[in-house]
Amino acid sequence: MMNGRIQPELPVSELPVITRILVKSIQTRVEKVGAKGGLVALSGGIDSSLVALLTQQALGDRMLALIMPEEGVTPEWDLRDALNLVEQHQIPHRVIAINDAVALFQSYMPDNDFPEAVRRLALANVKPRVRMILNYLYANLLGYIVVGTSNKTELLLGYGTKYGDLAADIYPIGDLYKTQVWQLAEYLGLPANIIKKKPSAGLWKGQTDEEELGHTYAEIDRVLFCLVDLELSVRETAQVLEIPEEAVQDLYQRVIRNEHKRRPPTITRISSMCLDKDWRYPVERY
Amino acid sequence: MAPNPLSRKLRLGLLQVETRLGDIAGNKERIKALMQQAHEQGVDLAVTPELATLGFGSGDIYLDKVDENLMALEEIREFAGDLGLWTIVGFVDRTPLGFFHNAAALIGDGKIQGKYYKVQLVNYRLFDEKRYFAPGHRLPVFSTPFGRIGILICEDVWFPEPARALTFRGAEILIVLSASPYTTTKVKTWQNFLQERVLDNLLPVAFANQAGIQDGVTYWGGSMVFSARGELLAMAPLLEEHLLVVDVDLEEARTLRRRDLRVREVRREILEELLRAYDEMTRENG
Repeated sequence: MMNGRIQPELPVSELPVITRILVKSIQTRVEKVGAKGGLVALSGGIDSSLVALLTQQALGDRMLALIMPEEGVTPEWDLRDALNLVEQHQIPHRVIAINDAVALFQSYMPDNDFPEAVRRLALANVKPRVRMILNYLYANLLGYIVVGTSNKTELLLGYGTKYGDLAADIYPIGDLYKTQVWQLAEYLGLPANIIKKKPSAGLWKGQTDEEELGHTYAEIDRVLFCLVDLELSVRETAQVLEIPEEAVQDLYQRVIRNEHKRRPPTITRISSMCLDKDWRYPVERY
Repeated sequence: MAPNPLSRKLRLGLLQVETRLGDIAGNKERIKALMQQAHEQGVDLAVTPELATLGFGSGDIYLDKVDENLMALEEIREFAGDLGLWTIVGFVDRTPLGFFHNAAALIGDGKIQGKYYKVQLVNYRLFDEKRYFAPGHRLPVFSTPFGRIGILICEDVWFPEPARALTFRGAEILIVLSASPYTTTKVKTWQNFLQERVLDNLLPVAFANQAGIQDGVTYWGGSMVFSARGELLAMAPLLEEHLLVVDVDLEEARTLRRRDLRVREVRREILEELLRAYDEMTRENG
């Protein structure tokens, strides 16, 4: 029944309706909370470019794309791709370099007490958190919601910074694997250089996601799709995809370890109406 | 009007309401506006989706707004009476003992002619109906000036038995109220289920689905009607509020059944064997 070609592909005939659903979900939240529009942090990568286009389809000019390069780290082609996109689609935008803010936080780091790798990661996480602060600064000023750009692959692997790039009001593409994001981006006519370039979280110079994760997104998505959507065990996934069990186990452990990034903070239950356990209300209600 | 013995048309109006969860006043107005349009288009029987007064979506909001939803039903009943429109309305009913049901009311001549309670409650994946509702146990067929009508709610039609019982009771059409959330290929899945019920029972089937998005869950609309031959007579657009008016021939089933034996040659012994098999299954696994 199974074969090695399993992958999470969106049915091509449903790409139009999926697009409309994503667009409508952005409109619905903005309407429901009485916001004036939506803000997208645009890096020039594929996820944020796709979300920016969807947000524009949903809200027209009632949006802002914040482009927040870190000079010397953000590759110039990313900045160029972001600027080309907003110009081509006439998306309201603003460019703010985050270097000063990052340097300020860096100045608070203690000297030499921590191994280099730990320092590097802690500082790397400051960058998306600085961007988050700017997102909400502008969102508050404008009365906008923050439209998140995380996808299903990142959410499952925890490949994102808590209260950084993961901080948002909605995740319109949060149920799409990275390879499905590529598919939808192609369907919506995003520029080829945005689709084709190597994905990078841009946390340090020369970083690429696939190198850091140790697998290509195509490989990762096939494994996650088997584990999560097809509900196969680690062993079954390895058999079906004809790959070593250890590789699957490694990704599976990552998924488990990162549950905390997909949830609001856990509340210790004392009353019989604990707000994250007993109290069950959707956000979009009347 | 002289009756044509070879054709007996029922003009159905499927009210594909874009409900908002908990917005009972708004939902009621949307239902009434579509009823008005249906009346103007000469509709005999108007049908809302499942839980049209309250909106669908898991959450304790069901517990809070039952009174308000019952008052909305009263107002819709009066309005249907003023229009002289027979109408089936999805709502939450409450018994004197305080049980809640996912229900449908058949309104005719300004009176509630009967009620149906969903028999197959859904409790997997995002669904949590058993937290709120008690299941119904009866499958009545209702007489109307237009013919004998069987009502089912959403999941009920994913099982062959409820439709079968209504068929044995002489239903001439099955009316399905639904609030089906979108996932890829879901539209086709539903078409298959509806068509299977048609082919099992040689009956026309009408499906009224909600439209709209709530907390990232999309009710896909696409209300549709199949003839007793299994042809798709009409389908409403996806995702949008819409009134679908369709003429359905209630005589076609009788014509088909002259030579097609799938209803009249059902054998009691086999039904009894089915029950024995069911008892064995539940004893061994229950």
